[in-house]
Amino acid sequence: MRNMREIRSERLGESYFEFHHPSGLKILVYPKPGYKAAYAVFGTRYGSIDTQFRQKGDAAFTAVPEGIAHFLEHKLFESEELDAFQRYAETGASANAYTSFDKTCYLFSCTGDFKASLEILLDFVTHPYFTAETVQKEQGIIGQEIRMCRDEPDWEALFLLLRAMYKNHPVRIDIAGTEESISHITADLLYKCYRTFYNLSNMVLCVAGGVRPEDVLAVADRLLKKQAPVEIERKCFDEPDEVAAAYAEERLAVASPIFSLGFKQHIDSPERPLREILLWRVVHEAVCGRTTPFYNALLEEGLLNTSFDWEYFCGYGYAASIFTGETPDPKAVERRLVARIETLQKDGIAPDDFERIRKKLYGRAVMAFNDIDSIANALVSAEFCGEGLFDEAETLGTLTLAEANDLLRTKLDTARRSLAVILPGEE
Amino acid sequence: MENSPNIQALSPGVRLLEARAVRPKTTCISLLLLTPLLQDPAETAVLASYLTHTCRRFPTRAALAAKLESLYGAEISGDCGRLGEARCLRLSLACLNDALALQREAVSVEALELLLDMLLEPCAADGAFDEAQTRLEQRLCLEDIESEKNDKRAFALQRALETMCADEPYGLSRETLTAGVRALTPASLYAAWQRLLRTARITVLVCGDVDAAPLEAALQARLCAIPGRDPAALETVFVEACEDVTELIEEEDVSQSKLVLGFRTGMRDRDDDYAAYRVMADVFGGGPYSRLFSNVRERLSLCYYCSARLVRHKGLLLVQSGVERKNSDVAKAEILRQLAVMQAGEFSDEELAASKKALCDAFSGVGDTPEGLDAYYAQFADGDFLAPEQTAAALAAVTREDVVRAARRVTLDTVYLLAGKDGAPDA
Repeated sequence: MRNMREIRSERLGESYFEFHHPSGLKILVYPKPGYKAAYAVFGTRYGSIDTQFRQKGDAAFTAVPEGIAHFLEHKLFESEELDAFQRYAETGASANAYTSFDKTCYLFSCTGDFKASLEILLDFVTHPYFTAETVQKEQGIIGQEIRMCRDEPDWEALFLLLRAMYKNHPVRIDIAGTEESISHITADLLYKCYRTFYNLSNMVLCVAGGVRPEDVLAVADRLLKKQAPVEIERKCFDEPDEVAAAYAEERLAVASPIFSLGFKQHIDSPERPLREILLWRVVHEAVCGRTTPFYNALLEEGLLNTSFDWEYFCGYGYAASIFTGETPDPKAVERRLVARIETLQKDGIAPDDFERIRKKLYGRAVMAFNDIDSIANALVSAEFCGEGLFDEAETLGTLTLAEANDLLRTKLDTARRSLAVILPGEE
Repeated sequence: MENSPNIQALSPGVRLLEARAVRPKTTCISLLLLTPLLQDPAETAVLASYLTHTCRRFPTRAALAAKLESLYGAEISGDCGRLGEARCLRLSLACLNDALALQREAVSVEALELLLDMLLEPCAADGAFDEAQTRLEQRLCLEDIESEKNDKRAFALQRALETMCADEPYGLSRETLTAGVRALTPASLYAAWQRLLRTARITVLVCGDVDAAPLEAALQARLCAIPGRDPAALETVFVEACEDVTELIEEEDVSQSKLVLGFRTGMRDRDDDYAAYRVMADVFGGGPYSRLFSNVRERLSLCYYCSARLVRHKGLLLVQSGVERKNSDVAKAEILRQLAVMQAGEFSDEELAASKKALCDAFSGVGDTPEGLDAYYAQFADGDFLAPEQTAAALAAVTREDVVRAARRVTLDTVYLLAGKDGAPDA
């Protein structure tokens, strides 16, 4: 088949196919023989942080209102005739979309009539329709969504933390924007963003499940027209290594205080390689995983409960280690976690712990390959990071203890931290 | 029938269902233990966590967590839920498919033995559970119940159900449960565990693609050897109709109010006209093609979300929505108007077709993965099993007359509003 490459994992006994479609779109198909369901994601490298950008040849950066990527996602479902949901109702597919910091994805899952559903997906995403009236109506709906999120303490805690850690980078702004910022969105601005970021050369189509590559290509051939590629430059925001504030708090109707503690990482380049991301996962497990004396001591003392969690939070131009949970005493957790990190930096991760954690991460990475929705979404993420889908399981096997200890000692700076707390009580 | 599961009775009140998925990466095993809802509710809630975090062989949380990590990150979790008025204690295991282990170790057998250790050999001595562990789990359980308040949607639903079913076991309140958890002791927990082993109706689900013989042998040797078994009868009260509507408004510091409408469906048991009710609930408030979504949310912009769901095991229909307080009366009236549309049969053929298509589509993909099969069959732990294909076929056969008949039996029971304080009071 044309322009096709097969990517195989001998270990898993599975493979997927990569196509460069003549339209300019990259297409990835991961067949799961025997599966009845299929899952498709059509994604663009465009998220909430893309508030300033320029195309090659533009003299200046264009600045757009915060929340516009998410707004555009909502609007794209509409057309002059039937909206996309009404069209999917005829095929039985279950459809959705999401906007994150750095991408926007449109998806559906189905068990029958795959080609008809794929046709709807490719059609509505490539045919925008915005008018002043529909934009105004959406401002009301998204305003409600923004207000609803204010009642979600975990979400509030995350953005309180991001505003404390980041001075300039737009990662500090809620993905949906604010009621004020979305009031500046117009149909013209939506078209401007659409024409820039929804160029097929900035997008990817990923399909997993009981489908054949030729079915996907047949629909793509029919629906997609060749587009001249664009070159988009994302603005690199001038973000200092220091945090904006060491502490921030808010009050909400919560049962007990909720904390979000972040360690801001100094980065020399805007994006983190897969190897570094995997090493961070090992390091976090070693610092405070369920097997550590640290976690179990704080659990027994009543400083933490099972809601305690962590993530390596990174994207274009930002990277941080974030720890979250409920506690009666956020500052005590902060003190103890900092002490734990500093002790482990001195002693180093024990070889047994390193091997066990690696085995766990390997198992979890392989176990994720049942699920066609996680496969398709992971294909999108991997593509946008320039990685292959099977690289994770393979790379895990090659990580070394020395690398993990080096990362822990040189990249986790306990001085550059922010603590955000949601306290119970009236606002 | 393709993919028919293999079902066998292992011993009185213990049965095993094995279902096969296509080349899965995981094996999922669940032990489902059903008892009457009001038998030791507080103790059972704590047992779900106590049993799955330590056992005699691995007496600390850290030791057990390390064991699971070394089993390729096998996940074991405990959950205390309900199927109608049966309490369902569920101990679940998801582990790597043996064929994918680095040395092809029998991960599943080792993990199942561990799961059985947890259920049958907990940390206990002299007729009581471990004092320190009990106190820890007691505190964590209380914090869990308390933090349910953070999720306003779920909290409003819980309050609505407590109000609606106040005179039925199903209405067991958070207050009662909290008081019970506060009062429990290591001895009462031990006694409840013994009662559980003696009286529970036990279903074991094994979903994946592994050699089942050693798993069956382990189950036979241990689960079927529990002495003094006397499985309890399980019954659920189905209130067929309601005559007086209860209305309750509670204030809370939230940005967006939550409106819940609780209906009695007229079902007499979980299988009574189920397919008709399922389709009716879906046309009324299931997907984006439903009456509630397209009218209350999209056409009138009254709510950010507005959906209906059927609680099959208790014969309830629940509508949940997020509204501005000042719109709550209008929203309620519109929801009831849409129910009247259902009862008058004034929904379109397209809406009915879309709903049936979407429901059948969702059930058809269940068999692709062990996780899908496990979640699906767990709903049948209180009675006879039906394969996903059979459920899909029953839904596909539902007619317009069936839907109207089901809708006409529905009566409103309770209207609950969790109201934001700063919104204008209803005029």
